[in-house]
Parts: sequence; structure tokens; C-alpha cells
Amino acid sequence: MTDPAYIRNFSIIAHIDHGKSTLADRVLQLTHTIADRDMMEQVLDSMDIERERGITIKAQAVRVMYDADDGHTYQLNLIDTPGHVDFTYEVSRSLAACEGVMLVVDAAQGVEAQTVANALMAMNAHLEIIPVINKIDLPAADPERVRHEIEEALAVPADEAVLTSGKSGVGVKDALEAVIARVPAPVGDPDAPLKALIFDSYFDAYRGVVALVRVVDGSIRKGMKVQMMATQTVTDVEEVGVRRPANVPVDELGVGEVGYLITGLKEPALVKVGDTVTLAKHGTTEPLPGYREVKPMVYTGLFPIDGDQYPELRDALDKLRLNDPALIYEPESSHALGFGFRVGFLGLLHMEVVKERLEREFDLDLLATAPSVEYHAFTTNGEMVALHSPQDLPDMGTVEHIEEPYLKATVLVPPEFVGAVMELAEGHRATFKDMQYLSATTVDMHYEMPLSELIMDYFDQLKSRTKGYASLDYEYIGYRPSELVKLDVLLANKPVDALSFIVHKDKAYARGKMLTEKLRGIIPRQMFEVPIQAAIGGRIIARETVKAKRKDVLAKCYGGDITRKRKLLEKQKKGKKRMKNVGNIEVPQEAFMAILKVDE
Amino acid sequence: MSSSSGTALYVHVPFCVAKCAYCDFASRTPRGEGEMATYVDAALAEIGAWRERGLLSDVSTLYFGGGTPTLLGGELLRLLAGIRERVTLRADAETTVETNPETTPPDLIARLVEVGVTRVSLGMQSFDDGVLATLGRRHDAATAERVALALAASGMRFALDLICGVPGQSIASWRESLERAIATGAGHVSVYPLSVEEGTPLWRSVAVGRVSEPDPDVAADMMLLAEELLSAAGIFRYETANYARPGEESRHNTAYWTGVPYIGVGPGAHSMLPAAAFDRVALAEGWYGEPWDLAPGAADAVRVRFSVGSDIASYLHRPTCPPAAASFLTAEEVTTEDIMLGLRMVAGVALAGVEDAGLTGVLESLTRDGLLEQAGERWRTTQRGWLLGNEVFGRVLDGA
Repeated sequence: MTDPAYIRNFSIIAHIDHGKSTLADRVLQLTHTIADRDMMEQVLDSMDIERERGITIKAQAVRVMYDADDGHTYQLNLIDTPGHVDFTYEVSRSLAACEGVMLVVDAAQGVEAQTVANALMAMNAHLEIIPVINKIDLPAADPERVRHEIEEALAVPADEAVLTSGKSGVGVKDALEAVIARVPAPVGDPDAPLKALIFDSYFDAYRGVVALVRVVDGSIRKGMKVQMMATQTVTDVEEVGVRRPANVPVDELGVGEVGYLITGLKEPALVKVGDTVTLAKHGTTEPLPGYREVKPMVYTGLFPIDGDQYPELRDALDKLRLNDPALIYEPESSHALGFGFRVGFLGLLHMEVVKERLEREFDLDLLATAPSVEYHAFTTNGEMVALHSPQDLPDMGTVEHIEEPYLKATVLVPPEFVGAVMELAEGHRATFKDMQYLSATTVDMHYEMPLSELIMDYFDQLKSRTKGYASLDYEYIGYRPSELVKLDVLLANKPVDALSFIVHKDKAYARGKMLTEKLRGIIPRQMFEVPIQAAIGGRIIARETVKAKRKDVLAKCYGGDITRKRKLLEKQKKGKKRMKNVGNIEVPQEAFMAILKVDE
Repeated sequence: MSSSSGTALYVHVPFCVAKCAYCDFASRTPRGEGEMATYVDAALAEIGAWRERGLLSDVSTLYFGGGTPTLLGGELLRLLAGIRERVTLRADAETTVETNPETTPPDLIARLVEVGVTRVSLGMQSFDDGVLATLGRRHDAATAERVALALAASGMRFALDLICGVPGQSIASWRESLERAIATGAGHVSVYPLSVEEGTPLWRSVAVGRVSEPDPDVAADMMLLAEELLSAAGIFRYETANYARPGEESRHNTAYWTGVPYIGVGPGAHSMLPAAAFDRVALAEGWYGEPWDLAPGAADAVRVRFSVGSDIASYLHRPTCPPAAASFLTAEEVTTEDIMLGLRMVAGVALAGVEDAGLTGVLESLTRDGLLEQAGERWRTTQRGWLLGNEVFGRVLDGA
């Protein structure tokens, strides 16, 4: 156990691509936690997808020992957090395990939406904020402007901001000295009953659920009987240890320390992020604040392209869930697509990551239907029906009204793009609330809008209309009534359930028309004519036709090159395999996502 | 080989005046006079090697394709004479030379007749100068017509190639090309809808939007018009893309579609041999295993398709290299392939053979879709089937 006076717990927070993971790499090198020869990029991002996309999905905690200029050796616990808004709750729990943060801002890009969102979260958690202006060796670096933006946007004094380059390592030691000097040492009562926060967990095939914990009061040792307060689960402590970044067992974790906890529990649902660990007997009665159940916000249908892969998909979801308790799913059957699952996600990134992992790690070919949000339908007899899929909508005659989730969106953008953002908002049912100039180059705009509109291509459009300058963050503000209808799509006069969606009544006509046009371009010409129709409650509102194909022949059979002919035919066949047969129509996967790509 | 059909010999001449916009065959501009002579030596060396393996003792058809064989000029005559010394051509052998209008001076035609060429295939493509420009051809319509009429006057059989579905080509222009082609007295006409092959200059033009993509519906209309006008003139379809006056069908090309063995000589040329014959050569030449990296096919292979590497320089350096690629087909695959190829022919395939191959169900479903029909004891391709050939071929391959 280390004297808390020589412990510092901090996190690095940043907008995506501002250099958080590279800076963490430099800290590991500087403190000799990882030998130079073992160093690879983004050490703390262990998943392939994290490295490839340059994102952090799972929180990480690593202990480094740092010989400070004051002659003491400090135990620094660096908690690397996911940067994306989908994982906001995880970030908030990671922050709750810290006393301070390094707020990393790109010296060229300046303050962006997630910089603000993350900084506000750190402030709400009463953390010491150390501004770090990173990438100062970029040609476009302008630390003075960024310093000004930090002060304006965040009201954080930035005159003592540390200037760093994660690339060259310049200033990284200064940043650690700032952590020692300015981040408070953890405070807790070593004699009080154990109180430890679970800020993340992962599943190990041999050890079961491994929880990442921060001890607040008391201490935790091997052999103790402990209790998870929210799930009221009692279990033995099999092992405690610290991550450097590989697991190293220790005898005990004391006040202020961060490490891992293995209990032998195999069921991830029993070890929840945000829960408090205490003693099974004479434990605390006061859990740490802030625990809540994580609720999926976005739902989609996942179907195997090859129907025979349904059992494999189920097993794969079961396995992924061990490491991702936020993932929820239930079997779904579709007339058009057969058997699959309705899967709930924290957001669109979470959805993409899960789909990619299922396809990559489990070798599945999946078709995803367009994501939808959880609508609430209130029936005339006062019942509330939660709709995870447009198919769940009860007969409209019995529906009194429908509500949908709203959010507050924050857009940071250079002033010249304010008009473009306003225009985009109009097309997405967003209500303007207010805006303020953070600096001469950054405007902070606030909107309230339905989540369903955000997942309709809003972010891509925002990026393209602002030449990539806009950044976006959002938080949920609850359900509001909306005039919504279900729009059905018919192919060859048969409704295709997997293509139907719920839409605001004022937008239904335009979206139906655009979707049918889009589908006409996506669905290849077949042996026969295929009418595409959009309908609301049986009334056709739009129609397009995919003409029957007339000519498709490799006529030239040159110099006896039969092999090449066979290859071309096999290639064609492979292309067909990537499509889903709906009735006798071959429908490419992107058709099911087409609704997300209709331009206003 | 002692089969009654003999062996078809194809000789690929990899040189052209310049590359056409849509061409992705092995050909380029020759690097000096010397290179053409080197090529002729190389091709004769390769043919000699085949002859030594006993595979060219009964050649029923000989075909010079390219590229532009006539670009060789006098060297073509040396090549032909050299082949006659090395292989046994049947007395009634069909000997075809492909040519282009810009490389066919009148005196050449007379010399070809003298050395026993029986057939000339003229790659003229169109009688519309605009279409010829889009295709990147080097000749104009007037030259093409002059050469075609000279061929007719020579008394030799000749064939014309026409391309339809070219961006910018109107139905009227196509009709005119067909009518003028018929008027030359050609006994054989090939009709190819343009396909844009990846990597060609035409493909790049389409990719950047300089040339619009060929419209398959227009190509369909043009294919139908071709059949209508040609058959009215007594030139009947005998294969997906080929039409001839009765008796003037290309025997050489027919070999490809009817399972006759063939040997392709020259860069990028393709061959097909019975597996036993191929094995004999491969073992004698040391093609299997190190250092050539060609693995023997499965023991149950009955037919082998293989090809010469398409790099011209390395061919000239070493013409008797082992195949660049080979595929070994089992009896079952051969049956399927023969049915697939048989459906390219107007004659179609016999009901009994299809039944034995277990493909009757597939052909019935193609019939339901209007692509095939039963006529007497045979399955035959319908008008709709000619246009949607890939559907026919693909489903036959799939069904196996």
C-alpha cells in the first residue's frame, strides 16, 4: 500500500484525434512502464478496431511509477477513457475514479465539441483540470489562439497550460510534474468499511469477470467476502492487482489506489459499471453516488445473410456481451429476412463497432437494418408500449399518441458555417436554443432535436456542409410527443417489413419519395420488373420501378479463354451472395440502410 | 492426338499499330523490325516443342489472332511457312488470319491466298467514323469498306467484326453498319456488344465521365436488330455473337465451344488438352513442382485449361516456359462446362446429356424464365436467352 500523499489518479480527456492515446504512450515510455523495444502505437487500445480507427472503446487503467523532480517516487494511475459520446456514462465513471484530468487540445484544431463536453464532465466531477496543448510541432500549431479558446470556452485558466508533442515527447515530463503539483492526492478513510468504485470490467475466458476498481475507503484483499451493492451479489475476492499494463497481483489495494479485482463471478451482468464494492458483512450502507443502468438508445435488426448462420450469430452475441454488458438483444423474425436479432446499442458508433467485431472476429456476414430509436406509443387505454422496431407499433386506431427521445446537441463551428448549420437543423426538426462566440474562430450553437433525426445522416451532413470543421456532442433530455407515422415499403407489391420505418408525418411524403428513388438506384435490375412503393397505412405515396434487365451477356469468347469466362461468372455469383433474397428479388445490403442516406 | 476432330492451333501475334481504347488483350506496338522477327522465331520454337511432344500431328484448324497478325508483313508468311514445316495440317484445314483495315494492302491479300490462307477476319467494328474514333480505332469507314470489297473480290472467305452498344452510337448508325457489312458479301459477321474492361483507356474515360457508360438496353435493341437484318440476308446466328452463311461458320472458334482440344501459342494464349496429354507434356518438360510452382491437378482431372504468360518480353526471351496458369477440371466439371458452352450454340444441347448431368431442373427453371426452350430432343437458347446469356451460363455453373 502506498501513502495516498504519493498517489495521483488522473485521466486524459480529449476530442477525437487530438492525440490522447499517443500522449499516453509517451507517459508509459517516460516512466519505463514499457521498454522502448516493446512499444507499439496506442498501447492501451488493445482491440484491433480501436487501433485501426484510432478510438478507445474500453476504459483502461495503468499504474506507472514516476520519479518526480521533488525526489519522491509517485504512483500515478492513468485512466484512459473512451472518447466518444456513445460511451458518456463509462467516461463519467472513469472520471469519478480520478482527482484530476489532463485536458488535451490539439494546437492546430483548437477547442472542439467533445473538448467542451469532456471538460464540463470533469468540472461536474470537481476534478482539477490541467490544460495540455498538444501537437505543438505541427506547422499549423497556434498555441496562443488555443490558450485563448480554452479560457473563453471552458473558463479554465490556461496561462499554465502545458505545451506538448506526443510525437516527439516534448513537454510530457512537464505534464506529469503538473499532475504531481496540481492534482490533489486522494483522500479516504483507511479504517472505514471498504468502498470501491467499479469503473469498467472485462471478461477473461479463464478468470471470469475482471473489474477495474478505485478504492475510496478501506482496503481490499484476497480472500475477503465482498458485496456488489447494486446487484446485491456476495462473492469472494480471488485476486487483486494492478495493471502495468499487464496484470500484476498485489496483496492489497488501499485508499486511493486503482487496480483490478477478480472474484470468480462469471456473469457480467452481476458486475456493473458504476456499482460500489463493499464488505459482505458490516459493509458501508452508503453506496458511491452516480450509479445508473445503462440504456441502449439505438436499435437495429441484425440478420445473417446466410440464414444457416443464425446459431453462430446467437453464440457470437453471447460472447461479445461478456465484454460489453451495454449490448442487449432479443430474437427477431422478419418475413423478408428470416431469423435474426433486434439489438440495442448506446449509439451509432457502438453499433458499427459491434457489427464489425461480429463480422470480423466471428466470421459472419451480417445484414443490418436501418437503426431506429426507442419510441413510446401510448394507447387509448393508457398503456405505454416501447417500440424497438417499427413492427412493434400497435394498430394506429388504438394509439393515442407517440413520444420519441430528444437530445440537446452542441455544435462548435467556425462563424462562416453558422448559416449551413442552421439550414441543416431545419431539415432535421432541430429547434435552435442559443449560440455564443467562444472566440473569433469558434461559435458554440445549441439545439434540441429528436435522436431519430440525429441518426438520419445528421453527423455526416454536418461534417460535409462545414468542410469537416464542425464538431458535435449531445446529451439526452428525455421523451417528447411527436406526430409520427409508420412508412412501409413494398417490393413487387409485397411489403418488406425490414424496410419500414417510423417518421414524422410532415416528412413522410418527402422521405418516402426519396427512399423509393434511392432504392431504384440500389436494387439491381432483375429478370422481371420490380415496382418499389412507399405506403402509409395502405395508401401508396410514392412509386418507382426497376426495369427488367434485357442484356447481360459476355459475348466475346476470345481465343478460347473459357477460364476467364468462368471467373467472371463466379465473380458475379459472389456478388449475388452478398445480397439478400427477399422473395425472388435480390436486394443488396445497402438497401436496408438507404433511409439513412436520403438527402434533404 | 488421334481424335477425329483433330487439334485446333491458335497463334497469338501480340503486335498492333497502336492499342485501341477498349482493348485488354496482350498486344502492343512492336519495338523495331527486329522484334517481329524475334517473335516469329519464338513462336516457331514453341510450336516445335509442341510438335516434339506429339501434339500437333493432326491440326484441323489454324488461326492467327492478335493483336494484328498482318502487321508482321513478310514475317507472317515466314511464320506460316515455318508452321507448315513443323506441323501436319489437314488437307482441308481452315486457316484464318485476323487483320485490320489499316494493315491490309491489296497485295497482301493476294499473297495470303497464295500461301494457303482460306479465311480472313477483318476487325472493322463499324462503318461510322465517330464510333471508330470513340473506340480508338486507327482506320476510317472508307478504308474498311475498300478492304472488305477487295477481300470479296479475291474470292477468299472473309468475316467482319462489328461492335454495338458503343456510347454515342445511334440505332441508325448501327443499322447502316449492318447494311453496309451485308452489302460487302461477307459470309461471316460477329456482333459484339461493347464491354468496358477495367484498366483500359475507355474504362478510364468512363470513370471520369468523359465517355458515358454503354447502355445495356440500347445494346439489347442493337443485338436484336443485328439478328433481324443478318438473318434476312441469309447470314444466320450459330453462336451467341456469331453469324454466318450456312457452311461459312468458323470451324476454329466452334472448336472452343464443342470440347475439341486446342493449343494456343504466343503471349497470353490459351490452350485446352485432355488431362492425360497435358500430364505427359508437363512431366516431360518438368513443369510440375520446383522450380515452376505448378502443382499437378487432382488425379480425377480429365481436362486441363492453361495459358501462356502474357508478358511479351519474357515470351520472346523464353517461349517454351511452363503455363502461367492452369486449371484442372473433373469429369463432372467438364460435363457442366460442355453444357454451358453448348448453350452458346444455336444447336443447343441434347436432353439426354443434360439429364445425365443432373441439370434438367436448372434448365427447366431457365425455360420458365423464358431463356431456354425444348425443341425436339434438344434444349435451345431463346431470343431472350441470347441477350441474358450470363443468367443462363451462371445458373448452369451454379446448378452443378
